[in-house]
Amino acid sequence: MRTPAVLLAVAVGVVLADSSVVTIALPDILARYHVEISTLAWVLTAFNLALALSALPAAFLARRRPVPVFGVGILVFSAASLLCGFAPSFGVLVAGRALQGVAGAAVVCAALDLLSQAARTEARAARVWAVAGIVGAALGPAVGGILTQLLGWESIFFVQAPVVLLALVALRGAHAVVVPEPAGRPHVGANAALLLISGGLVAALFLLVILLINGWRLDPLEAGLAVTVMPLAAIAAARFGRTITPLWVRASSGVLLIAGGLAALGWLPHAGAAWTFPPQLAIGAGLGFALSALTERALAGRSAQAVHGGWTIAARHAGVVLGLLVLTPIFTHDLHKSEREVLASGTAAVLDSRIPPLDKIAVARHIAAAVDDAKQQARIPDVSEVVGKHEGSGYADLVSKLQDQLDRAVTQAFSHAFLVAALLCLAALVPILLSRREVSV
Amino acid sequence: MRAIAAAAAASLALIVVYLALGGASYAPARVADPCAVRDWRNPQGLQHTVEQIVLSGLDGAACKLHVSREDMVLAFASRDALSRFARQHHVSTQQVDELVRAGLLRSIDDAENAGALNSTIADLLRGFVHRFPIEQLISLLQQLPGV
Repeated sequence: MRTPAVLLAVAVGVVLADSSVVTIALPDILARYHVEISTLAWVLTAFNLALALSALPAAFLARRRPVPVFGVGILVFSAASLLCGFAPSFGVLVAGRALQGVAGAAVVCAALDLLSQAARTEARAARVWAVAGIVGAALGPAVGGILTQLLGWESIFFVQAPVVLLALVALRGAHAVVVPEPAGRPHVGANAALLLISGGLVAALFLLVILLINGWRLDPLEAGLAVTVMPLAAIAAARFGRTITPLWVRASSGVLLIAGGLAALGWLPHAGAAWTFPPQLAIGAGLGFALSALTERALAGRSAQAVHGGWTIAARHAGVVLGLLVLTPIFTHDLHKSEREVLASGTAAVLDSRIPPLDKIAVARHIAAAVDDAKQQARIPDVSEVVGKHEGSGYADLVSKLQDQLDRAVTQAFSHAFLVAALLCLAALVPILLSRREVSV
Repeated sequence: MRAIAAAAAASLALIVVYLALGGASYAPARVADPCAVRDWRNPQGLQHTVEQIVLSGLDGAACKLHVSREDMVLAFASRDALSRFARQHHVSTQQVDELVRAGLLRSIDDAENAGALNSTIADLLRGFVHRFPIEQLISLLQQLPGV
């Protein structure tokens, strides 16, 4: 692939990675700005909503003037990234994220037109653009985790600013290609399926990361490495899935794999990152199949690539917002329910333990206080901190029993959200099957 | 079409394996029914006897209020927790106190009848239960590690 095409693909990947890149950094952002958890979600929602709403207007602009739209988009995206990194308040951070979304829409849509020139054919451009988007979205949590642990959450934004600026080099020699005919109607089936799949993928790209870090107490770096299984599988599937034809068969296979992986995450038999690897493998492979096939399907035979690319971006990020809106209340409701259950089962473990009887009341009280404290700070209590300072085999046994109850409760709290996400993905089969004979415009 | 069949088979296999390994039942342990009869664990020393009396008393009160014994323990974690618990169950904190007191007196009688307590200690414990509010009794118990 030629250098301009690589730079354009990197810019697309970085912008679309922004959808999920800050997920691992959310606890650190919460600690920095001291906001409510429901408010915290705006760091994710602002970007995805702005991207979804601006994708189409940006696409129509990019169709006529791809070079200036891309250039201005890159400059504004970089400036917005720096604004996020230096944000003195939570409001400024959210505003910066929204600005990133708007500029990101311009970058991604214009990049598709420019890629058509750099990659020589529209079909090849569409494929590179789709794969760049898939890799970016899937790699987001992993890269975010590694940067957060090594350099702090602000570094996510400081790193992406110069990386996307590099893509300006790709504008040398680029020119607008006039497309006189109207853009034509979008491929409804492919875009509807993209919306539903993206809604379900919220569970894999956001909730899984929260489970690993906040639930199972992995470091951001460990969690970042643990979720690399998904992008690796996605890259492999996007590369080797091309042999699966027709596109609707590849898309349907992908949907089934994603739904299966999400359902398996909803029925995890134990806590631990390793248990998420097989489901991640299925989700990653499904993501590679489905998103590449549906994006190619949405763009196939359509002359105004930027416009139809804009439709896919709008659909995907509207899907992310839909996923956040549907899954967040389910997850938070179940988290409260699990909190009550684990308090009761933890107290039962204390009462049934072999520690000195008169210590039990104090230990039960300390646990209740630790749970309250942890709730205030939106984290899971550290059992060994509360009980582990006492000596004796009875205490060691109690710590392991309490830890087990806590792991069970946390894992269960995510279960329904993963299962609903699986259903959301499965629903994508309907538009895929209904539109399998739809002709390209 | 073979790709669809393979994807469906792989997904189903993954789900079946996870369910077979206990995926559907990986949840916190359920707490015991406070109204069910619990075995009297052969107590070793006064500490264990007092523990069983307290737990049995809490069981009695919990059964009356249709909550778990663990909920009762957590209700006495702090004054705020007790008020919250009373509000949730539409009773006053005094009523909660009285229910636990009645449960404790009944379990002291049971322990005495079972021969786990002699009458002097049983009378002493009854005196404590009658005299002190439950919260104070708990604090008192915590300050007596050498009972």
